Amino acid sequence: MAAADQPILNVRDLRTYFFREEGTVKAVDGASFEVFAGRTVGIVGESGCGKTVTAKSILRIVERPGRIVGGQIYLRRAAHNGQESTVDLATLDPDGAEIRRIRGGDIALVFQEPMSSISPVHTIGNQMVETVQLHTGLGASAAREQAIEMLRLVGIPKPERRIDEYAFQLSGGLRQRAMIALALGGHPRILIADEPTTALDVTTQAQILDLLRHLQAQEQMAIVLITHNLGVVAEMCDEVVVMYLGRVVERGPVDAIFHAPKHPYTRMLLRSIPSIHAAVRTKLPTIAGSIPHPFNRPRGCPFHPRCPDFMPGVCDQNEPELRAVSEGQAVSCFLYGAP
Amino acid sequence: MMGAGTSPDYLLEVRGLRKYFPIHKGFLRKLVGQVRAVDDVSFSIERGQTLALVGESGCGKTTTARCIIRAHAPTAGQILFRTDADTVVDVAQLPKRQLRPLRRQMQMIFQDPYSSLNPRKTLLDIVGEPLLVNGLKNRQERVARVADLLRLVGLQPEYMRRFPHAFSGGQRQRVGIARALALHPSLIVADEPVSALDVSVQAQILNLLQDLQAQFKLTYLFVAHDLSVVKHVSDRVAVMYVGQIVESAPTEALYTAPKHPYTESLLSAVPKPDPRLRAQRIVLEGEVADPAHPPSGCHFHPRCPYVLPVCRTEPPALEAIAPGHFVRCHRARELTLRGVGS
Repeated sequence: MAAADQPILNVRDLRTYFFREEGTVKAVDGASFEVFAGRTVGIVGESGCGKTVTAKSILRIVERPGRIVGGQIYLRRAAHNGQESTVDLATLDPDGAEIRRIRGGDIALVFQEPMSSISPVHTIGNQMVETVQLHTGLGASAAREQAIEMLRLVGIPKPERRIDEYAFQLSGGLRQRAMIALALGGHPRILIADEPTTALDVTTQAQILDLLRHLQAQEQMAIVLITHNLGVVAEMCDEVVVMYLGRVVERGPVDAIFHAPKHPYTRMLLRSIPSIHAAVRTKLPTIAGSIPHPFNRPRGCPFHPRCPDFMPGVCDQNEPELRAVSEGQAVSCFLYGAP
Repeated sequence: MMGAGTSPDYLLEVRGLRKYFPIHKGFLRKLVGQVRAVDDVSFSIERGQTLALVGESGCGKTTTARCIIRAHAPTAGQILFRTDADTVVDVAQLPKRQLRPLRRQMQMIFQDPYSSLNPRKTLLDIVGEPLLVNGLKNRQERVARVADLLRLVGLQPEYMRRFPHAFSGGQRQRVGIARALALHPSLIVADEPVSALDVSVQAQILNLLQDLQAQFKLTYLFVAHDLSVVKHVSDRVAVMYVGQIVESAPTEALYTAPKHPYTESLLSAVPKPDPRLRAQRIVLEGEVADPAHPPSGCHFHPRCPYVLPVCRTEPPALEAIAPGHFVRCHRARELTLRGVGS
């Protein structure tokens, strides 16, 4: 085994652009972060920040007219001879055999809306058995046994019976559990969960988050958690990547992000979330303006039109780079170093 | 509780509201059962105050709101509304024709700012329509009034000839608010008004709603699932579970000293945005009960950590355990539950 302090997944300066007739949308424009075994990294941001496109880029399922135009996505995986090897996912053929083995095998994906990501015309079991067979080469009945075990593992009651049901027969919470079971079918080392609890009620959300933590401890899985909910991030993540309009504006350990945020966007985002600890009927500090349309991306730092610390002539002229400010924490802002 | 007939402080008083939906099955559409979406709900709202109706999906909070504006005809119960003429009417009983003048006084703000605005109409048409329908025929006056309304909600009046697609989610929600305010309503029913918005925009809309309330003495019925949002806007909170109010209290009391086990677990389940508080959360077992087949006794008993044998058989009544604090639980007086501090 290679050293555990090596990341399993290392995303370097990823750029994914969408080439539309109206113009180019730089959905992800220079994202870098690392993912370690048994740990959870959260990617947070508001709509249009590029968090979902980042996930899709890793799995190479970006729809046209989008494509990766720059950067590397290094995945460390076990080779046949027991040695570790590193492959750059960004260079693979998105329809090739290798990425298809990696999808579901090394890296699995859980979506926000289980109803639209589980086939409505196949039973849960059909879909799970297919996944298990594809990644393990087991026979049909052995694969079914394993699928039932998976459903039991994610806490679905009476899995022997539920396995023959369709997605519409399950409640929202059970459907999300089935989706996770489906994702775990190939024993992935990395689970990418894109807003896995956003469509769920709070008590169900608590159950699913508990389940993810439990599975992570058991399987030593790395989790990439994509969400806009900072409460979920605070409860689940070890590291946090904050994105705004396709760029990483800040990255660091969860405690630093919540207790010593550096980037003005991170600071204001944290202050503007409604808190259950707030005094009754208090107003919230707000961030002025709204997220710009992707075609009208501001020059320079993308946050400068809304930033309280905007420095004319600096922030609107130059693009800040992500630079380290303390152990493990990096920020992309001219307040922490002139251009 | 004082009756709306006796106290002019209450704008709205709901008593014993029920809304059952029939379940039909088979070729002959035979009636096979009922979904008790709202099952004996009572509350009142003082003029100028905000009551939040909270609960998880399927608890009946939206159906309750829709009954109050008579988008649904209630199965039973009274909805006593004090009109601008200072008379009390029962909205539940009024024939359709007599509802029309009342509709000016109660307006709704919807959750989804993308589907609640007609994409083929300009802001002038959208915000001006209620004015036109209610007799403001002069176009110039209408344009002037729409301009005022847009300014009021923080939009530039120059935008009024544009279509909704040109606006962001937060801006569209402002349009929806302007439309609701057009006829000087006294009651605003807001159904999840910020849950589809981004965090940075959510705060803006919540603050706007509070400013407008102060300026026009508006009364809000705020339907929401997010307990953090609710704490910022409401004077009172009513928690619903499977068609019933299980607890209602002044906001501070409900959060710091909840008396119903369901309220306690809801408060505990909210993810707190502070990694140092990674909690000993109460994770409820099981799922929200089906309102077509609610459990016997207390509807919450199959998931309740404090369940007693009596809870399985006897449905508890909503009782006042302190002034203004109502709880539907057999053990409300003896349990000490965990809330969240300020």
